[in-house]
Amino acid sequence: MSADHKEHPTPKKYVQIAIVLGVLTALEVTLYYIEDLVGSFTDPLLIFLAVGKYIIVVGWFMHLRFENKMVNRFFAGGMILALVLFTIVMLERGMANFFFN
Amino acid sequence: MTKIIEPAKRTNIFRRPSSEYGFWSWVTTVDHKKIGIMYGYAAFFFLLIGGLEALVLRIQLAQPDNSFLSAAEYNAMFTMHGTTMVFLAIMPISAAFFNYLLPLQIGARDVAFPRLNALSFWLWVAGGLFLYSTFIFGTAGAPEGGYLAEEVGWLGNAPNGGWFGYQPNAGFKYSPGTAMDYWALGLQILGISSLVSAFNFIVTIINMRTKGMRFMRMPVFTWMTFAVAFLLAFSLPIIAIALFYVTFDRQFGTTFFLVEGGGDPVLWQHLFWLFGHPEVYILILPAFGIVSEILPTFSRKPLFGYAAIVFAGFGIAFIGFGVWAHHMFASAISPVAQAGFGLSTMVIAVPTGVKIFNWLGTIWGGKLNLKTPMLFALGFIGMFVIGGLSGVTHSIVPADTQQTDTYYIVAHFHYVLFGGAMFGIFGGLYYWFPKVWGRMYNETLGQIHFWTMMIGFNLTFGPMHWLGLQGQVRRTWVYAEETNLGFWNLIVSIGAFIIALSILIFMANWIYSRRKGEKAPFDPWDARTIEWTIPSPTPVWNFSKAPEVKALDDFWHAKYDEDEEGRAVRRDTADALLLQLEEEGLNPEEEIELPNPSYFPIILASGLPFFGYAVIYKSIPLALIGAVLLLVGSFGWAIEPLEEEFTTKEEEE
Amino acid sequence: MSGGHDYPHEPTGVETRKLGMWVFLSTEILFFGTLITTFLLFKGRDFPGIKLTDVYDIPFTSISSFILLMSSLTMVLAHNALENEDQEKTRVWLLATAMLGAIFLAGQIYEFTEFYHKGFELSTNIFSSTFYVLTGFHGLHVFIGVVFLIGLWAIGQRQQGLSLDGGMNLEFIALYWHFVDIVWIVLFTVVYLI
Repeated sequence: MSADHKEHPTPKKYVQIAIVLGVLTALEVTLYYIEDLVGSFTDPLLIFLAVGKYIIVVGWFMHLRFENKMVNRFFAGGMILALVLFTIVMLERGMANFFFN
Repeated sequence: MTKIIEPAKRTNIFRRPSSEYGFWSWVTTVDHKKIGIMYGYAAFFFLLIGGLEALVLRIQLAQPDNSFLSAAEYNAMFTMHGTTMVFLAIMPISAAFFNYLLPLQIGARDVAFPRLNALSFWLWVAGGLFLYSTFIFGTAGAPEGGYLAEEVGWLGNAPNGGWFGYQPNAGFKYSPGTAMDYWALGLQILGISSLVSAFNFIVTIINMRTKGMRFMRMPVFTWMTFAVAFLLAFSLPIIAIALFYVTFDRQFGTTFFLVEGGGDPVLWQHLFWLFGHPEVYILILPAFGIVSEILPTFSRKPLFGYAAIVFAGFGIAFIGFGVWAHHMFASAISPVAQAGFGLSTMVIAVPTGVKIFNWLGTIWGGKLNLKTPMLFALGFIGMFVIGGLSGVTHSIVPADTQQTDTYYIVAHFHYVLFGGAMFGIFGGLYYWFPKVWGRMYNETLGQIHFWTMMIGFNLTFGPMHWLGLQGQVRRTWVYAEETNLGFWNLIVSIGAFIIALSILIFMANWIYSRRKGEKAPFDPWDARTIEWTIPSPTPVWNFSKAPEVKALDDFWHAKYDEDEEGRAVRRDTADALLLQLEEEGLNPEEEIELPNPSYFPIILASGLPFFGYAVIYKSIPLALIGAVLLLVGSFGWAIEPLEEEFTTKEEEE
Repeated sequence: MSGGHDYPHEPTGVETRKLGMWVFLSTEILFFGTLITTFLLFKGRDFPGIKLTDVYDIPFTSISSFILLMSSLTMVLAHNALENEDQEKTRVWLLATAMLGAIFLAGQIYEFTEFYHKGFELSTNIFSSTFYVLTGFHGLHVFIGVVFLIGLWAIGQRQQGLSLDGGMNLEFIALYWHFVDIVWIVLFTVVYLI
C-alpha cells in the first residue's frame, strides 16, 4: 500500500502535463491534414497518440498512478474485457460477412 | 471516542424521516435487512404472476389444437413469463439474499452505500410496475395481414417478441404496438437498478469486511455474490446500449438492427447474449453460494475444497463472458465462430464439474441431517447435473442446430434455472428462515413441499426433453393431433399444476410459521458462519460489536475442536460461549449509530417510469414530471444531512 | 457513512466512495465500448447518402476538443487547491471547469445543428445514427458533469465550504469529469480523425 502515499504532483507539474496534452492534440490534427504524406502510418500513429493522451490523463490527472493496486486492476480489467469482447464481435461480424456475402 | 453532534441548522426542510415502525419505516428504510425482506416479498409476488402465466400456457398446450389462448395472447404470455422469471423473480430473490446476508456474513453493520441500496430496490419496483403497466396502457398491434391481426384480449397487451426480443421481429414493423417499447424501457430501468446494486455489493465486499475477515476467509455465499456483482457490472452496460438502440429504432426512425436501413439484426443477438449469457450465471451463482453454505452445515463437515469452489466460481464467471455465441449457432454467424464458441462451451463445463465434485466430496462420509434445506440442496445437485449435461450437448454445433428452439432447450434451461437456481433459493429460504424471523418453519410441511415440488418439477420438465427431440417447436401455441405429442403434453401440464400446489404448501408453511412457529434459537443448525453468532431475528444493529474473525468457518472453530483422527469434538466451553454470545448480541455495550432513513431514494426512482412513458407517448409534460422528480431526488439526496443526525440506539432491556 | 465509529473501515485503504466511483467508471468502459464497436462496425459498411466527412469541420472540433482537454487541467487544479485548503481558488477553478464544459456542450449543439442543416440527420443513414447516439451519449455525460460541478460550486458557497470527505465529494466528481475527458480523447480520434 505504499503506492497510496506517494505525493501528488504540484500545480506547476499539472500545467506542464496539460501543455504536453495540448501539443499531442496539435500533432493529431496536423497528422490529419498531412495524411497523404504519411500514408498508411497515419491511423496507427493517431491511435498511438490517443492512447498516449489517455494514459497521461488517467495516470496523472486521475491519480491512478498513485492509487491502490486494487483500483488499477479494476480499471485495467474493464479495459481488457471490453477490448477482448468487442474485438471478437467485430471479427465475427467481419467473418460472417465474408462467408455469407 | 468523542462524537460532535452539529446543531440541526438546515434540517428543517430536509429533515430525515425517523419512524421505526409502520408503513413509512419501510418506504424510507435504508436498512439492508428491511430492503432484503422487501425484495424477497416483492420478487415472490412476481414469481407467482410468472407462475400463473406459465399455468395459462400449460392449459393451452394440454390438448392438441386447443383454443384457450389466441396466438397473440400465447406470444404475450411466454414473453412475459420469461421476462418476469428472469428479471422480476430470480434476480431479485437473489438480491434479497445478497441484501440480507452479505453484511451479516462479512460482519458489517450495513452495505457500503445504504441509500443507494434503497435506490436499487425502488428502481427495481419502478421498473417492474412500468413493465407490467403494459397490460393496462400497452397495445400489441399487429403487422398488416399477419395472423396476429385477430382479436386480442387484455392478456395480449403485453410484449410478445420473446424474452430475448430478437430483431427485426421485435422492431416496429412486426411489433407495431407499444408493448415492445414497454419491454425495452422496462428492462432499461431494471438494468440500472441491478447495476447500482452491483457497485454497492462490490464496494461492500472489498471495503466493509470486519477485523480478520480476509478474502480467503469469506463464506462461499459472499464469494458468489462478489462474482455475480462483477458479472452484473460488466454485462449490463452492453444490454443497456442495445436496448437504447431498440428504442431509437422503434421511436426515432434509426435502423441499427433493421436490414433495410443497412443495420445488422445479428448485432442485436451478439449484444443481447453478451449480456444474456453472463446473466445465466447471474441467476445460478447465488444458488451455488447458498448450497455451498447448506451442505457443510448439514453434513457436519467443512466444505470440501473451499479454494477450489471459490476459484471455480470465478472461473465460471470469467469464462461465462466467452461463450455467448452458443445461443446463436442457428443464426448467421461464421463457421469459425461456431467452432470457437463450441469449444469454449465445453471448457466452461470444467469449473462447473469441479464444483459438483466438491459438493459431493463435502457430503461424502458426513453425518447427513436431512432437514428441508438439505433436501433442497441435494435436489439442487441432482437437477442441476441433469441440466448441465443437457446443456453441454449444445456445444456440439450440429446437435445444437437440431435442438435449438425445440422443447429440448426449454427442458434444459428449466432444469438449470428451476431445478438449479430455484431449488437452491428455496433451500436458502428455509435455511435462513429462523435467522430472519426468529421462528422455526414447520419441518413436515417443508418436507411435503420438497417432495411435491420434486415430483411436479420432473413431471413438467422431464418429458420436455423427448418432446423436443420428437420435434415439438418452442413458442408455438398449438400442435396438431396427428403429431402424437398430446400425451406427454398433458403430463407436462399436470406436472405444472403439481408445482403450483407445492408453492401453495410453501406459502401455507411460511404464513403459519411466521406467526405460530416455534421460537428459534440463534444457532438452530449448529452452523459455521458468523451470521449465526447473533440473535434471531437479527437485531437492527446486526452485531453489537465488530466481530473478529480468526479463521474460515470461524463460528464452527469456536464451538468445535479436532481430535487426533480429525473428527470434530464439541468443546466444553461451547455452551457457555453460546449463552455469552446471546447475552452480548442483545445488549450492545456502546452506542450504535445507524444510517438514517431517507425519502429520496423512492422519489428519485419514481422519476424514471415517467421518462419511459414520455418516450413512448412523445410527451414533454411527462418528461418534465420525470425531470422534476429526478432533480428533487438527487439534490435532496446530496443536501440532506449525513452524519450529523444519526439515530442513537440506547440499550434495550 | 454506515457503521459506527467503532467499526473497521476500508481494509484496502481506498476511500469507499472513491472505490465506488472507480468501479462505476470501469463499467462505463463497457457502455462506451459497445457504442464504439457499433460505430466501427457500421463505418466499414456501405451506406447511402451523406457522410460525416462531407459535413464536419475539423478545426472547429479540434478547438472544442482542446477546450474539454483543458477543463481536465482546471479540474485537477481545483482538486489541488482543495487539498491545500484554499476554498477561494477551489471555487474559481471549479467554476472554470464548469464553464469550459459548458462551452464544449455549446460547441456540440452548434455542430449538431450545422450537420442537420446540411442534411446529416439522425435517421439519414446507419452511419449518422451511430454518430449521433455515440457523441450524444458522451454529450449527456458532459451535461451531467456540468450539473454536478455547478452543484458542487454552489455547495462551496456555504460558510463551511467544501471538504474532501463530505457528501458531494470533489474528488469523486473530478474522477468522473476526467473520465468524460478521456472518452472524448478516444472519440475525437476514432470518429473524426481516422
